[in-house]
Amino acid sequence: MIALKKEVFELVKKELKYIGILFLLVLIIFKIAFFKENLVVLFRSVISLFWLFVLPGYFIMLYWKEKLKFLERFIIGIALSAAIIGMSSYYLGLIGLNIKYHAIILPPILILIGATINLRNRKA
Amino acid sequence: MTKINLEKIILSIFFIVVLFLGPGVLFGHKIAHDFPFAYSASDAFQHQVRAEAIKDMGNFRYEASYISSGIEGTVGRYPPIMYHIAVVFSHFSGIEVYDAIYFIVVFFAIIAGFIMYLIIRDFNKTVALISLPLSMLIFSFPISIGFLWGHWPSILSQSFLVLFFWCIMKKDMKYSYILIALSLSATALTHTSETIFAFIFLALFFAIKLVVKKLNKNDIKNMVLSLIIFFIISIYYLLIFQNTWARGQPYSFAVQPIWEGNPGFYIAGFGLLLIPMIIGFIFSMSKLKSLHISIILGLAMLIGGFLNYIGFQLRSFQIRFFWPIYLSIFMGFGIYVLLKFVVKKWNFTYTSTIFIIVAVLLAGAVKLPILKQTDVQVIPSIPSINRVTSQGMMDLHHWQALKWLSENTGQESKIYFFYGDIYNQDAMLRNSKRSHHQVDPDDFVKAIQDRKIKRVYVSELPGDTGGGITIMNSLFDFELATESLPSEYFFGPQDICKFDYIVFDKVSQQQVLAQYNLLIAQELVNKDYINPVFDNEVVVILKNNQAGDDCIEERSF
Repeated sequence: MIALKKEVFELVKKELKYIGILFLLVLIIFKIAFFKENLVVLFRSVISLFWLFVLPGYFIMLYWKEKLKFLERFIIGIALSAAIIGMSSYYLGLIGLNIKYHAIILPPILILIGATINLRNRKA
Repeated sequence: MTKINLEKIILSIFFIVVLFLGPGVLFGHKIAHDFPFAYSASDAFQHQVRAEAIKDMGNFRYEASYISSGIEGTVGRYPPIMYHIAVVFSHFSGIEVYDAIYFIVVFFAIIAGFIMYLIIRDFNKTVALISLPLSMLIFSFPISIGFLWGHWPSILSQSFLVLFFWCIMKKDMKYSYILIALSLSATALTHTSETIFAFIFLALFFAIKLVVKKLNKNDIKNMVLSLIIFFIISIYYLLIFQNTWARGQPYSFAVQPIWEGNPGFYIAGFGLLLIPMIIGFIFSMSKLKSLHISIILGLAMLIGGFLNYIGFQLRSFQIRFFWPIYLSIFMGFGIYVLLKFVVKKWNFTYTSTIFIIVAVLLAGAVKLPILKQTDVQVIPSIPSINRVTSQGMMDLHHWQALKWLSENTGQESKIYFFYGDIYNQDAMLRNSKRSHHQVDPDDFVKAIQDRKIKRVYVSELPGDTGGGITIMNSLFDFELATESLPSEYFFGPQDICKFDYIVFDKVSQQQVLAQYNLLIAQELVNKDYINPVFDNEVVVILKNNQAGDDCIEERSF
């Protein structure tokens, strides 16, 4: 059991490094595509993309790590996270939680859910 | 190992190219702008203002009254996801909502291109790489009007539709029904008509499965579970949809070969690319039995784009915004099949060379020769990406005026807009965030012809009536809020003296219109209780401190 958990942590550690590299790569690509934009805006945009879509998406898709390679989980996770964040935000708003808090609250919840499910899966 | 790295390098280069030539060009190579940039029609402002309103209200329970023709308490009936993603992104990034919402739509359209790549890659990696550059054409004219004219919910919903296709492809994975349900719900809550196309695809997919006798119990169980979760997630909004949009715009049969009033995209627009596409289509039909999603979705969305012939009208034309993504399998497969006749031993060098050639051609990097003294191309047309940046309808001066109104006037203030060249795209006026009327251009011109300054002008109360301005009393009790209102409420004579603020444009392409504006403004400021409160090179705003009083002398000039 401990060995299995360690295996997951090792994978996550390795893949979070990839995500870190991809963050820098995307930042550079954004600087090329939006070369008239200042670095602060670019940095804020890219970090928002990673915080809202890439990281939650990665942790949700981690469940299927044996079936899908990193690249596939990475790309699908972005779109899936957007779908979940959009829907959750709508319903959270309706039940009274102001949308200004959603960017802070939703990604950690999704990350936590993804991580927990993944660890449970290993236990099973 | 080398191949995998090369693939990733190619994908990275493609991301740079598509980002540079797509949103890069569209947004003038900036993300944050001083005003809504590259907004070219009223619908774009319509969505931007709704997202702004959600940001202000904190949720989308209600539609803002300044969007709903001044009516309070009407239900938020537009599919909500796009607005929510944009506002959440805006909050976290600090980017204005008008930039955030546009960026999100364009960004996820690019992501959809990559998801389609993954789908085709599951069929054949070489075909996937050759197909990928075609997705750039979502930024070519006239397809790009999807972005410029504000068909944003459809575009974002189609991005989720591509995600849905991927989920169906992976339906044999454990718990895939959750992914299927989430992606299907996302289409329904972003632009519900795309969900219909998802069901058309499913019908085709399972029909082929049935014919080739590959339909099994597990497939049915998976789909039933997916649909149950889908309904649980979406039911609240679907009830709103059913009582607004579905009631207001029911299906009716009509043959509509041309998208009236819009520069629609037609299949011939692919030009020379149709040759490999037709070849790819023919050869892929023989592979239908393999049930690969990439081929079935290509076929389904090709059919979906032609349903304008049986009443799907603009919804079918909107599907064509993503034809370069859906149909890319046919182009890639066509080129691959053709070259396989020549190249016996295929390797990655061939793949990358063809990828580069196709990408360069579609990027418009090569100017094809034309016959001297004519504009007839020696080589028939190959569509290419749009390389021209346009700032759109808005400008800094109008934006400053609208912002001023939203930030410096009382919530209950009433605004009157006299003639402005850009005000026919009236959703932009909602950026005043106040109840507003605008002068009817015909009555305005008639007043000039009659050489009269009047107190009462025929006016319009602009507002978004799409789907019907509706009040939701309970989950199953909806009523049309506009039913009891007379038609004059929306269009008819209005006394300009009853408005708190009156907005005049000082410049126009027909200067006589602006001169008449200024003549009225001059007449108004003769009253000591009417003063200019905002003034720039293009717009002047007057405040009437005694709204309802006799503010103007009617006379001839």
